[in-house]
Amino acid sequence: MLLQRLAQAVVTMLIAVLAIFVAVRVLPANPVIAQFGQHAVPEKIEKEMEERGWNKPLWQQAIAFAGQIAQGNLGESFARPGEKISTRLSQAVPATLELTFAAMLIAIPLGVVVGTIAALWRNSWPDWISMAVALLGVSIPVFFLAICLIMAFPMMPTGSRLPPATFHDLHTEFYFFESLLTGNFQLATTSARHLMLPAIALSTIPLAVVSRVTRNSMLEVFDADYLRTARAKGAGFLRVIARHAFPNASLSVLNIVGFQLGMLLSGAILTETVFNWPGLGRYVVDAIRDYDYSVVQACALVLACIFVTLNLTLDVLFLLLDPRLREGNRS
Amino acid sequence: MEFSRAFQSSCILFCFTFLTACGGGSPTVSDTLIYGRGGDANALDPIHTDIGESVKVIVNIFEPLVAYDEETLDLVPGVAESWETSEDGREWTFKLRPNVKFHDETPLNAEAVVFTFERILDPDHPHVHNNIIPYYSSYTQIEKVEAVDDLTVKFTLKQPQATFLANIAMFPSGIVSPTAVKKYGADFTRHPVGTGPFQFVHWKPKQEIVLSRFDDYWGEPAGVKQVVFLPSEESSIRVTQLKRGEIHIADNLPPSEVDGLEKTPGVVVQSTPGINIGYLTMQTRKPPLDKPEVRQAICYAIDRDRLIEVAYAGHAQKAKTMVPPTLWGHSDDVPGREFDLEKAKQLLEEASKKYGFALPLKLELFVMDQPRPYMQQPRQTAIFIKDALEKVGFQIDIITNDIGQHFQRMTRGEHQLGLSGWSADIADPHNFLSTLLHSENINEIGGNNLSQYKNEEVDKLLDAAQFELDQEKRTQLYKQAQRLIYEDAPVLPLVHVPVRIAQRDFVKGYKLHPSSQVRLKSARIAEQ
Repeated sequence: MLLQRLAQAVVTMLIAVLAIFVAVRVLPANPVIAQFGQHAVPEKIEKEMEERGWNKPLWQQAIAFAGQIAQGNLGESFARPGEKISTRLSQAVPATLELTFAAMLIAIPLGVVVGTIAALWRNSWPDWISMAVALLGVSIPVFFLAICLIMAFPMMPTGSRLPPATFHDLHTEFYFFESLLTGNFQLATTSARHLMLPAIALSTIPLAVVSRVTRNSMLEVFDADYLRTARAKGAGFLRVIARHAFPNASLSVLNIVGFQLGMLLSGAILTETVFNWPGLGRYVVDAIRDYDYSVVQACALVLACIFVTLNLTLDVLFLLLDPRLREGNRS
Repeated sequence: MEFSRAFQSSCILFCFTFLTACGGGSPTVSDTLIYGRGGDANALDPIHTDIGESVKVIVNIFEPLVAYDEETLDLVPGVAESWETSEDGREWTFKLRPNVKFHDETPLNAEAVVFTFERILDPDHPHVHNNIIPYYSSYTQIEKVEAVDDLTVKFTLKQPQATFLANIAMFPSGIVSPTAVKKYGADFTRHPVGTGPFQFVHWKPKQEIVLSRFDDYWGEPAGVKQVVFLPSEESSIRVTQLKRGEIHIADNLPPSEVDGLEKTPGVVVQSTPGINIGYLTMQTRKPPLDKPEVRQAICYAIDRDRLIEVAYAGHAQKAKTMVPPTLWGHSDDVPGREFDLEKAKQLLEEASKKYGFALPLKLELFVMDQPRPYMQQPRQTAIFIKDALEKVGFQIDIITNDIGQHFQRMTRGEHQLGLSGWSADIADPHNFLSTLLHSENINEIGGNNLSQYKNEEVDKLLDAAQFELDQEKRTQLYKQAQRLIYEDAPVLPLVHVPVRIAQRDFVKGYKLHPSSQVRLKSARIAEQ
């Protein structure tokens, strides 16, 4: 079953990349002319088109692209001459990952607690309040919330991942996690301060979703026979929740968390823009705006990879957590 | 069990993050100037970019042979201390300053200048790794560049060109270190080495570009030790950052934001007339706009004084011709078409009878989705024009495109009416009139004559002015051209927009330049 999923994943990725490859090429704009702008000279444009192989038939371009990817070469940005796409991605992906995980670190525990409380006191004021908060979380535009946060926390930095001209000796772009792991607490603190507001802004939607899903799953579980049995056998309140109710309710929560994570990784564009966060979302948007074919393609590839890996991981996690799925597999 | 352990760990990490985030502070940046702007650079090799955000950095790292004066648009010596020209205007000889060094210690000599210009002119140059040389066409008049001796360079032109000196004062001809170009290869664009007052330190895309003072600079050294260019796309964020002192200078802000900042304690606003034009282009080859009466009716129908209030918060100057009044060659003699609703209606009615078209006349108005320095609120401008024209007998559909698409579609002539503008590359009327209205610039690959206007007499005057070396005679030729263009009305000049920036009051010495070049050499941070 796992192998089947793996094969499906690879096919999904190929289709996604092919779709993007065709999509960027049927756009009416000519990226070469877009780059030359107001000073375009016909001979130079022709030369560029020829060198990049963009005047060849589409299928030839597709083969060339596939060959390039097979060699692990993502190419160079066109709008930013001399910039290797792999270098930029190695900066943008960790920036987004760190932001997303920070947001999820806020959203999941808080969402689970709020959802559980709402379920325990269903149809009373804690439930109503959590419902109102969830509704607000989903409906408030991230952009607006971000500006509000900036106003509300004047002591917190507003843009970028570190203060200007901070030189450090980190080896990865995971500023917070690496500095924390290597014991550089001063840098970890600084980095966390910069991470805080964007992570809060980004966490509102998953927080709302997780809390509502937790509440509904918990309610379902509360009505189950085994829970009544556990209670009848004299299990304490916290034990019932932590040992019996939550692990069973957690599957639906996990499912939605996985989905939200995927959404955040690719959709943190607004938050990244407001907080000047140099992540993947902004990289893609800029590339589309600049008609930077090669970057759009490479990012599509990376995003497809992320989604596919995430789905695969979730499948594996489900197999591990839910014995019924394993049974099904054996039979 | 596993889940609750993971849950506990998450909680601990979360609490740690929160606690650490609430403490600590940013390091002090007392001798670092932080320049907040709307976007990042795309390349720092002077020949491979025409993006304004790149130019802001480049002009602080590289220097051309000839430069603009600190405060005016006059051309003054750069790394060349003097120059002379031959009788026929085809040969230009430049004497370089002695003892000028690049940031990598390479001495600046005639060979470096020749190397710099060969990179622009030779498409097969071994040290050019990218075909995109946006300003290539500005240098095609140069036939050859040669080193006469170690500190003397001679340029030979194909024919005399009045704009030659201004062209080589532009940023693409900033002199590059041949040693660094050879060392870094295609990566030179990320490791720029010039002779300017600041040297490159590092560039993290979308995060920051850091420059440091070059202590061996040939002239007066820079006033701050370090400059950081910080991109923040959202102007409201730049405003907040400036108020909090996270950045020291913020540029490219909407006029209303600048007005608000003007009243903020600790913040000062600088303003200087810009050499730019925002205009309405009319596609002269498409009926009914091929009739001058219709174009003139449009010109009379738009109240530009009111437009300046609505779309520029009052911070713009009404344009009379396409050449800004701050630039030589501007003609004040053309009457200009003042707002006259009755006259507009009358002209349109007469035209409808004469040419047999029904009113209201349906037209499409193209507008860009992003602000430009000369068109700070394009959407509001478009709506204003639509309202104005619909009062006299037009029916206007607004077509919004993203900035790239907007200009590409207009270059192809797909529009009828369109909002456009121009910021000068060089302080010369040629850069406005020939670029925007010469018939040679009607083409699909970036031709800027968006009105597709063709008047042979105007073409002749503009050509004559380009090859005439006497500025007095050139002025007369440009004035005649402006008169003819006014009568034909292929465009309605709308506004000239001043350049305004906001800065913290402790930033001293930095003066906005009329060319909009961001030269930070004189800036310094006063005791706070």
